[in-house]
This record gives sequence, C-alpha cells and structure tokens, in this order.
Amino acid sequence: MTTTLEHTAHESKSKAGGFLRHLNFFTGVITGVVMAVIFYVIGRVTLDQSGRGFVDQLTTVTGVGWVIGFWLGIGALTGVGKWFIGKDQTHADEMYLAGKDMGKFRYWKYTTDHKVVGVQYVIVTMILLGAGGILAMAIRTELMTPGNHFVNPQIYNAFISVHGMLMIIALIVAVAGPWANFVVPIMVGARDMAFPRLNALSLWTLVAAIPLLLGSLCIGGLSMGWVTQAPISEQAGPGMDLFALAIITFAVSTTVAGVNTICTVLTMRTKGMTLERLPIFVWASMIAAGLGLYAFPFFLVVMSLNLVDRMNGTSFFIAAGGGTGWLQENLFWLMGHPEVYVILLPAVGALFEITTVFSRKPLFSYRTAVGGMAALAGLSVLVWAHHMFTTGWAPTLGGPFMLTTELISIPTGIVFLCILGTLWRGNIWMRLPMYWVFGFVFNFIVGGVTGIYLSDIPVDNQMHGTMFVVAHFHYVFVGSVLFGAIGALAFWFPKMSGRYLDEKLGKISFWLTFIGVQVTFLAMFVSGLRGMPRRYSSYSIIFEHTNFISTVGAYIIMAGMLVLLGAIITSWRSGEASGPNPWHSKTLEWLVPTPVPLENFEVLPVITEDPYTYGEELVNS
Amino acid sequence: MAHNNDTKQAVRSIFWIWLVLTIVGVVIGIYAPGWLMPKAASSTMHLVILTVIVFSVAAAPVAAMVYSIALYALVKWRWRGEGVPPDGPNLRNNTPLTAVWVIGSTVLTIFLLIWGLAALAVDDGGGGGKNPMTIDVTGQQWAWSFSYPGTHVSSNELYVPVNDKITFDVTSKDVVHGFWIVQMGVKVNANPGVTTTVSVTPDKVGTYDIRCTEICGLYHAFMVTRVKVLSDADFSKWLASQPSRA
Repeated sequence: MTTTLEHTAHESKSKAGGFLRHLNFFTGVITGVVMAVIFYVIGRVTLDQSGRGFVDQLTTVTGVGWVIGFWLGIGALTGVGKWFIGKDQTHADEMYLAGKDMGKFRYWKYTTDHKVVGVQYVIVTMILLGAGGILAMAIRTELMTPGNHFVNPQIYNAFISVHGMLMIIALIVAVAGPWANFVVPIMVGARDMAFPRLNALSLWTLVAAIPLLLGSLCIGGLSMGWVTQAPISEQAGPGMDLFALAIITFAVSTTVAGVNTICTVLTMRTKGMTLERLPIFVWASMIAAGLGLYAFPFFLVVMSLNLVDRMNGTSFFIAAGGGTGWLQENLFWLMGHPEVYVILLPAVGALFEITTVFSRKPLFSYRTAVGGMAALAGLSVLVWAHHMFTTGWAPTLGGPFMLTTELISIPTGIVFLCILGTLWRGNIWMRLPMYWVFGFVFNFIVGGVTGIYLSDIPVDNQMHGTMFVVAHFHYVFVGSVLFGAIGALAFWFPKMSGRYLDEKLGKISFWLTFIGVQVTFLAMFVSGLRGMPRRYSSYSIIFEHTNFISTVGAYIIMAGMLVLLGAIITSWRSGEASGPNPWHSKTLEWLVPTPVPLENFEVLPVITEDPYTYGEELVNS
Repeated sequence: MAHNNDTKQAVRSIFWIWLVLTIVGVVIGIYAPGWLMPKAASSTMHLVILTVIVFSVAAAPVAAMVYSIALYALVKWRWRGEGVPPDGPNLRNNTPLTAVWVIGSTVLTIFLLIWGLAALAVDDGGGGGKNPMTIDVTGQQWAWSFSYPGTHVSSNELYVPVNDKITFDVTSKDVVHGFWIVQMGVKVNANPGVTTTVSVTPDKVGTYDIRCTEICGLYHAFMVTRVKVLSDADFSKWLASQPSRA
C-alpha cells in the first residue's frame, strides 16, 4: 500500500502529499470516534469490571482512543510513520503539507504553513471563548436571583468548572496562538516556524482536547471547580476523568507550541535581526513560551496523579491513604500562577506594538520593557503559595510569599511606564486597536491594585474564596488580557484578511464590553466585600442587588462580544480593503505583501536597525 | 523651545488632574471599605478593614498618575487630522525618569510589605481574655459541627463568649471545606486528616455568619451557619443547658 502511494507521489507533482491527500479534519473526527469505540470495547472486555476504578479506567481509555484516533485520522502521525520506515517526505510532499495551491480547504487540513495555523488558532480561540461565554451567561443567569431557579446546584458546579477551564485555555491561546504563529516568523524574517509540522500538531492537539472538555460536561459529575482541589476531585464523577485527560492533552499542545516559538526566535532570525532589534511582541511571545515550558508540566503531573488515584487506587492526594491534598494544591499552583503570566505577557507585547505604531513613537525604554517582562516571568514562579494562604499549609512561609507577590508590582509598574512613556507627546491615532489599549490601561490598574490587597495575608484571610477574588482576576483576564487579544486582532486583522476590521462595529463592541466589564465586576467586588463566597449557586438575600447588577453587566459584555463577532464575519467577507501596510508600521510583517506569500519572503531581508525609528528624520534634519 | 513649553504645559495640567483624581481616590479609599465591608466583630477584622483603607490610600496616587497621564494623552495628544499622523518625537528612553519610576514603586512595595508583616505579627487572634478556650470544628458535606473539649457538648451552631480568645481546631470528615467567620476576618481550610488552627477574640455580642469557602460539592452554597457571641453569663447558661452527648 505504502509503496504504491510513494510511487504515485514521485510520479507526478500534482499527486504530492501521498496518503495525506485523503486526510482532513473530518477523517480525523471519524477515525477518532471509531478508535474511541474500539478502545471502549477493548476496555470493556479486558478491564476488571468489579474493580473500584473500572468506570474511570474505561472513561480514560475511551478518551485516549479519541485522541490517538484523531491524530491518526488527520495525518499527524503520517510524517513520523514514514520516517520510521525509512521514507521521509519529499520536497513536493512538504509543499503539499504547507497547503500550496490548495485553496480554502487547507484550513480543514493538517497544514504546516504558519499563516494557516494562525487563522485556525483564531477560529479555535473564538470557539473556546464562545463556549466558555455561553457557560458564563448561564452562571450569571442562575446568580441573577438568590435561589436555585435556572439550573440545579449539580449542573451549576459543572458549569463553573468547565467555564473556568475553557476560558483559561482560550486565553492561553488567545494571543500566543494566532499571532505568535501568524506574525512572529515574519517579524523575525523567517520563511516558517522552526518546526512546521509541530506547529500543526500543537493546533490539532488543542482541537482534540476540546471535545474531551465538553464531553466531561456531558457525562457529568463535575463537582470540583477548575482548580480540581483534592479530595473533592477524587470524589467527582467520571466527567473528572475526561476533564483531566483534556488538560493532559492541552499540556502536550502548549509544550509543543512553546518549543516551536522559542526555537523559531532563537534560530530562524534573518541576517541582522539581533536580539536587540527584535520587535517587542517577539520578546513577549518567547518569554511567555519559555514560562509555559516551566508551568504546564505541573499541569500534566497534577492531572495524571489525580487520574491514577482515581483509576488505580493510589492515594497521592488522599489523606486516608497517606497522601495529602496540599500536594495537589502545590502542584496545581506551581502551574497556576506562572500560567497567569503565560496568558498576560503576549497580550502586553501586542499592546506595546500597537501603542508605538499608533503613537508614531519608538517604544519607550525598550530594554526596561524586556527586563520587566522577564522579571514578571521570573517572579511568577516564586509566588504560587499566595493561593494557599488559608489552606493551613506552611503558615511560616506566609511572609516570604507575601514578599515575592508584592515584588511583582514593580515590573507591573514598568508595563505602565512603557505604555505611558510611548504615549507621551505622541501623535495618537485613535483607530480601533488603540481603543483597546486605553481600555487595558484603565482595567489593568483596577486588576493590579485589587491584587495588592489579596497579597496581604490578613486581608486575604478575609477575601480568599470570595467574589472579590473572582472580580479581581476577571479584571485581569477579561479587562486586560481579552482587551489585549481583541486589540491584537483589530491590529493584525488587515494582515490576515487583507481587510480592515470594521471600525464602527468595533467601537460599538468596545464601548459595550468596556462598560459591561465595569458594571459586572465592580458590582462583584462589592458582593465579595460584603461577604459572598465564590462558587455559590445560591446566596443570601443581602447579595441580591449587586448580583443582579453583575448579571446585567454580563449581558452587556455578551452584547459587545456578539457585535464583535458580527464585525469579524462581515469584515472578513466584505470589509474595506486595507493594502499591505495600513498602519504604516515598520515591523517586517507589514512590509511583505498581503495576502502573505507561502514562504513569506522572496529574498530574506537584511536588518540594519530596529523597527522603532519613528521621528528619527526629525532628529537628523 | 516649543517642545519644552509643551512638556511644561503637559506636566502642569497632568499635575492638576492627578491631584483631583488622587483626592477622589483617597476619599473613596477612606470611606468605601468601612461602608462596604461587614461591621467588624473582632480586632482581627478591624485590622483587615484598616489595612484595606491604608492600601487604598497608598494606591490612589499611583492609579491617579496612570489615569491622569493616559487621560491627558487621549485628549491633548490625539491626532485630529486626516490619515496617518506624522511621526512623534524620537524619545527612546529617559533614564532618570525610569529610575524614579522603578525606585518609587519599590519604595511603595516595601511600605506595603512592612505593613503586611507588621499586621501579621500583631494579629495573633487578639487579647486573650480571662478564659481562653479551644473549640473543635468539623466540616462535613454539608454542615459544620462544633464541640467544646472537656464538656461533651456539641452543636451545629457556634456559641462563644465575648472578649475571650477562641482557638478553633479545624478538620474535615470528607473533602476540603473553608471555615470562615465573615465578620471576624478569620478563615482557614478544613482538611481531612489534619487539624488546622485559627484564633480570634470576638469583641461584640451579636449573631454573625459562618460560610464555607472551598467548593465541597452539591450543597456547598448551603454550608452556612451562625455564630452567636454571648456575654460570659449567657454563655455559661447556654453551656449548662446543653445535653451532654458523650
């Protein structure tokens, strides 16, 4: 079979790609489902049905079958398989794999071109945000009134668990996925990522994780919240197995993507692109990717240990068996806090780029900006136990963790310094991307200042586990990171589509989202201050008004997001044509044609200065 | 020269915006926490509210600075012409400014840290009183139970005497729960298999709330109960009236 296919591949260039010609997203799904069924049947026959962990084993085996089947069916293992039997891909195969002359259908395939992967990441991010957003609306609808009216507590608990994890995953990929893939290789003057096939692998592995996560919601029993604290996560129903497996799959995806980004920046830069001339977004992407390589293995480990506890009767996290839930909490937050900066840094990098271009000024204090982002990354691995001040674990370490946590406000201040310094005396061009920069500046101050209260142990003893914490991190994730992600979308949309993102709809969306965030989360701060714990499906009548306001605010955010979705769809189809460099930017991605050719550059550029030379003619003249 | 005048004008205007915003922030910082947070029923909670006020007042000028510069830029440096604006000045760095910014934020951080550590040291659960006592707290899905060592009394609502230091030995029978007395500013997790400890001295007679703060399954939201702070005489009376469950 293989020899025949190889033969035809060599015979004619138009038959390049071999077996991969028959594979796409749909064959991936079909093979995934078939493999899941096969694994399920094998599990049913071979596993000990009387064992305690039987249901968990069967669920996990089925989930693993889905992932392997999806990989096989989409062609993720074809290249490796061919290499293994001593027949590597030909150049024609590689070009086919990159989507050469394939038209729109390449977006449904295991395509290695980094620009295709970037577009695919935009779609996947929107699906994740959409699913998480629907759950958010369901949660807020339930919380609109004090009792349990809309969903029962069991479904509520499942909703908050999956809402949390969907949104975390969505925001981890929201900037790094689309833009570290689409623009970073062009920004450094490369023809593609360092490992194009790994690039496709990271995207499709993420796609494979989504049905697992949504499936966990369907088979139910999620009672543990997204932090999967033990032993409630040991007690949870079989949904927890798919939940853990989804995260293990996702951890593989981000690791592959992170290695790829770092290698691309370190090894694929064109001549003259020194580290000092890198656009700031490249630095942000690389630092975030490096931090992800540190953080996500903990994610994988904590979920794996949880799974074997559930399946195989170990007791890593079960006190009765000699384990401890504190181990789970430590491992989880060793991931959980760096992850915040894996999420935040690419957004900050994108906002820096936007600020320089639309202020027509160099980035203020480039080296401080790079140092500040590196300091954020460095400190973020030393603060995890501030999530554990009230757990009773190691009270003597409270002081040191308070110290490291509060030190983070210094590099956070640098982020503001660089943005404000760039705005200073600029000619500020208030196009759509710039709206989101100002929105970020406003919201990130609120998110940052409220974080300081929480870093203080006596105050945290009061606030921990309340709606105050929820409002705080939503100001950071929605008000800051999502604003950065939408700003980045508005900024690079013309490069991706050749059209402007509709300014009018975009600005309506901005104002709805901005006002919605203030209404929702300011009211939520008050709920928390007055003593409402988080993850409550029902609450005392004294929290009635603030919760009602938060729900109204959440609907306003939803309206803003729907308008944005409308803007994206209409602009993609029939927006105003933008030309290759509508913002008159100086970074490389704007200097190549739109649409960007398959290998980006006909001749690789030679770099002689950094891309922030705004106003140099004024100095020289 | 024109640039210098621009800068001077900008700095002056920003200063006034900053001053107004700072005053607004400080006023909110002083009054909002006491107004929004529950009325304190222990010295620990007084300290929490005071800390929130101090941090708000300290944060006000910083937030006001960022907002005033951003606001000024948005209004005064906004390009109102057609098409792409011309380049702005080639300002790549200003080392003294960067240094001042970083040192300033460091000083503020050190202040917050010292305050935090001092508050942590002071906050040992309060005075002590005449009869410090220990109460065993057990969480289970989805209720709290309180037992009074040496008395064989146990209850699903907490009764404590006023002005005596109470030490809670907290544990759980099943999953992790969060033991939180809302108006007293104390919280510690109830973990299965271990005992965690927290102390507080209630300083006001009254009825307050206990709420679970770690998700513990189906009826997490209903794992709430009350604490009644009684005068010494009332507390002794209550204790004596309880059936012994030994």
